[in-house]
Amino acid sequence: MLAALRRFRFTEFQLLVVPSLMAIVGLLTIFLTRTGTVEWTWRDIWVSLAYVAMLIGISAWLSISGFKGDQVLFPIVAMLAGLGLLMTQRLQPVLEARGAAWARLPERQLIYLAMGLVLFWGMMTFVRQLDWLRRYKYTWAFAGVLLMVITFMFGQEINGARQWLDLGIVTIQPDEIVKLILVVFLAAYLDDHRAAINTVWRVGPLNLPPIPYLLPMVLMWLIAVGTVVLQNNLGSALLFFGIFLVMLYVATGRTLYVVVGSASFAAAVYVAYQLFGRIADRVQNWINPWVDPWGTGLQPIQSDYAMAAGGLFGTGLGHGYPQFIPVVETDYIFAVIGEELGLLGTIGVLCLYLLLIGRGYLIALRAEDGFARLLATGLTTIIALQTLIIVGGVVRLIPLTGVTLPFISAGGSSLLANFIIVALLLRTSDPEWRRG
Amino acid sequence: MRLFVRAVALVAAALVVGYGFFVLDQEQQVEWLGVVAVAFFLLVLALWPSFPAGGGNSFERSLTRTASVVFAVFVLVSVQLVHLQVVDADEIGSRTMPTAEGTVMDPRQAIVSARVARGRILAAGGEPIADTVINPDGTWRREYGDPAATYLAGFYSPLAYGLSGLEQTYNAYLRGEEGGNPFTEWLDGILHRERRGYDLELSIDLDLQRRAHELLGDQSGAVVLMDAKTGAVLAMAGSPTYDPARLYTNAGPDSDAQIQAAEAYWAELTQPGSSALLTRPTQGLYAPGSVFKTVTAAAAIETGVAAPDTVYRDEGALTVDGRVIPEENRPDPNRVSYTLDEAYAWSLNVVYAQVGLQLGAERLKQYATRFGFEQEIPFDLPVAVSQISQDEGFLNNRAALADTAFGQGQLFVTPLQMALVADAVANGGEMMRPYLVQRVSTYDGKTLQTRSPEVWKRAISEDTAAVLRDMMVHSVQNGWASDAAIPGYLVGGKTGTAEAGGGEPHGWFIGFAGKQEPEYVVAVIVEHGGVGGTSALPIGREMLRAALERSGE
Repeated sequence: MLAALRRFRFTEFQLLVVPSLMAIVGLLTIFLTRTGTVEWTWRDIWVSLAYVAMLIGISAWLSISGFKGDQVLFPIVAMLAGLGLLMTQRLQPVLEARGAAWARLPERQLIYLAMGLVLFWGMMTFVRQLDWLRRYKYTWAFAGVLLMVITFMFGQEINGARQWLDLGIVTIQPDEIVKLILVVFLAAYLDDHRAAINTVWRVGPLNLPPIPYLLPMVLMWLIAVGTVVLQNNLGSALLFFGIFLVMLYVATGRTLYVVVGSASFAAAVYVAYQLFGRIADRVQNWINPWVDPWGTGLQPIQSDYAMAAGGLFGTGLGHGYPQFIPVVETDYIFAVIGEELGLLGTIGVLCLYLLLIGRGYLIALRAEDGFARLLATGLTTIIALQTLIIVGGVVRLIPLTGVTLPFISAGGSSLLANFIIVALLLRTSDPEWRRG
Repeated sequence: MRLFVRAVALVAAALVVGYGFFVLDQEQQVEWLGVVAVAFFLLVLALWPSFPAGGGNSFERSLTRTASVVFAVFVLVSVQLVHLQVVDADEIGSRTMPTAEGTVMDPRQAIVSARVARGRILAAGGEPIADTVINPDGTWRREYGDPAATYLAGFYSPLAYGLSGLEQTYNAYLRGEEGGNPFTEWLDGILHRERRGYDLELSIDLDLQRRAHELLGDQSGAVVLMDAKTGAVLAMAGSPTYDPARLYTNAGPDSDAQIQAAEAYWAELTQPGSSALLTRPTQGLYAPGSVFKTVTAAAAIETGVAAPDTVYRDEGALTVDGRVIPEENRPDPNRVSYTLDEAYAWSLNVVYAQVGLQLGAERLKQYATRFGFEQEIPFDLPVAVSQISQDEGFLNNRAALADTAFGQGQLFVTPLQMALVADAVANGGEMMRPYLVQRVSTYDGKTLQTRSPEVWKRAISEDTAAVLRDMMVHSVQNGWASDAAIPGYLVGGKTGTAEAGGGEPHGWFIGFAGKQEPEYVVAVIVEHGGVGGTSALPIGREMLRAALERSGE
């Protein structure tokens, strides 16, 4: 009995109070704003109740199964995913007005969230070791490349980017899987070739990086640039190449690689910008969307209006006008947060991501095994880069490129992939696995 | 040392961001991105983790550094959010752009405007100029009062052409978001409480305003009548003008019809040659003609270049650098000697050309500036800036300087500016800050703010003002402005006739009147009305008379 009590994850349980309250109060606010009354029953907010039950269930299961890993990560993720849940519920009338195909998106998102939590639970329960990830690194790499090729050949084009695969029942976004495979492969590969760090490869007067670094560098560069050109997907390319550079830097400590890598990638993107009109549009919208206010500029202009309307405190959940922003549920979900929750809300969300990222890097620092360190670094970097790329795009600090806001944007593949990231991070933080 | 560098970098980053927030315009996106980039490097410099020699392994060092860069980027995204959501929020929200497909604007503005019953705009005493009527279904609509004053309120057309006039400058007050208790306004806002906008009571006296339009009749021109001591504008008329009721649009069942009507009327108003949308009293720019001699005389007296009894010769013409300035205003063609005072009363161009040359370009410019030229007059409506010359260095030409001194050259002035020149003379050298809005109140009449008169600036010394006042009075007693006299009252004035490219010249009159002291000042322009003494002066005199009779003296 005492042993069971000692195993109880008290910090995590306490912290889960916040996302639980947010989910319940938030959904209630949305419901009451929509109906314009003060009458409600528990049935009206069953979605949040179910969500809270799942959170508590998972936390309890982690306690029972004796898991000793990080206790802060899961509540942060619960907060972000809960906010995503609220946002899709909030957007329901907007999506309904847009047509039948969209009307079921909130329900689908609910199912994805449930699937994500179940997947998370499954991984925490059945995947106790991570060595198999490392062992089959070339298999992963092969699968990843194959997935990209298939997407390129049979993929569906939506909004100009070819990044969806239609499997009949569901449409998946292979990039979400590829980013995971990339991190796993790089962690294993870079750790294996650690010994070669200090060797230098001389070609005449040039000091080139040793082959184990040079080769993947060139390959990755090709893959990233290929993603830009062939898939027309600058967002994923930035993400892939960014992950690669961060992991390479952390593994080797060589700033030069980062500088050369990013400079050559920037040069390639610049050439693509000169060649392809689609990228030029994005740059145009970034610098001045008012050039084409009814066409490509419509989204950024409406997003700016929404952000400005939010002000410091926001209009309150349900009181904004997200219907004015086209395709609001993915790329521009952050603008809805900006309008309805205000500056306090947007900064709050950024702080949550920062906490998540800080926790992730801390897990990497504490890990003792080289593979685990790089794995945690890479997985955390996915979240960091993805957040910065999409939020930076929405607030027009960088050109907008389509990646999802982790845990908040609508989209099943992205949600599942992000829960896998959290499960892997938690597993890495587990002291027992470290010893093993 | 390390700590010092960090602190300096952090302060520098804050300064750079502050520059971006408060100096750069919302449209300067490229410059702003530059600011963010510089702030990024400074922030990374401030945060860059340092390790004791040999401390930490390579992995720990590089990961900590990566984390510090990620943190810096998050800080900058937050800075951008503060920029978008707080610092520049009002500018962004009110940004509009008319295009062929319709005006690009924030659709929220129209929705919010329709929901919050807008405040009324009232004339002095409470008669509505722009009224608010609550419909049975709880929505509201604007109804307009006497067309003699409605264009001062401006148009309210959020669904088509935006806002103008007081509707625009006092938008936040009319929406009830500013002007009362900031805390309750904020609370009402975040709790989405029903609220009503605040009413504006103007200093406009509707009787005087109607009188101004009667006197102008179908002539183009403008009238400004001000209280000399307070700066309260009692009448401000411009003709031709427009009817804001026909541009009114608001969200509701009638909005489509309103937009169509507004578009048709707008097309009419913006036809080439039509200037009805121009608020002539504050935005019309005209050559002043001889009324500008008041400024020249003020400069000459205050700088000691001349006194009222300084004698000048006027032989019927003056040649300056080959240009002949003819004299058409002498009361007696055989008389060639006039004092400065007489030359003002008889409006002698040859004398004032000589005064201008004596003063020189610098001093003339300096005094025009002291009277408010080349600056935006602080006012409740948009104003045009009066100018002493268009081209840089124009006044360095002696002939041009001579022309400017008696009111021609490249001078362009607004009627409001000339009313302030008269006010400086009438009010002991100080120009009052002119205003239209004298009271802000809640819809049920509770006063929130009352305007208290303020001095805008001192143009000339009290002594100079007293001398000029006598000169203006003499001009009415024995000069071209003698028709301005109102028996039983002290009246001073100056007429002007300004060549206005083609057609009849513009007629001008500025003046003041009162029982013992000047109480009201007036400026009148009649476009292409011919000689000021017969076109503008009677209007000015009748306005002053009406104002004096109104106050029951």
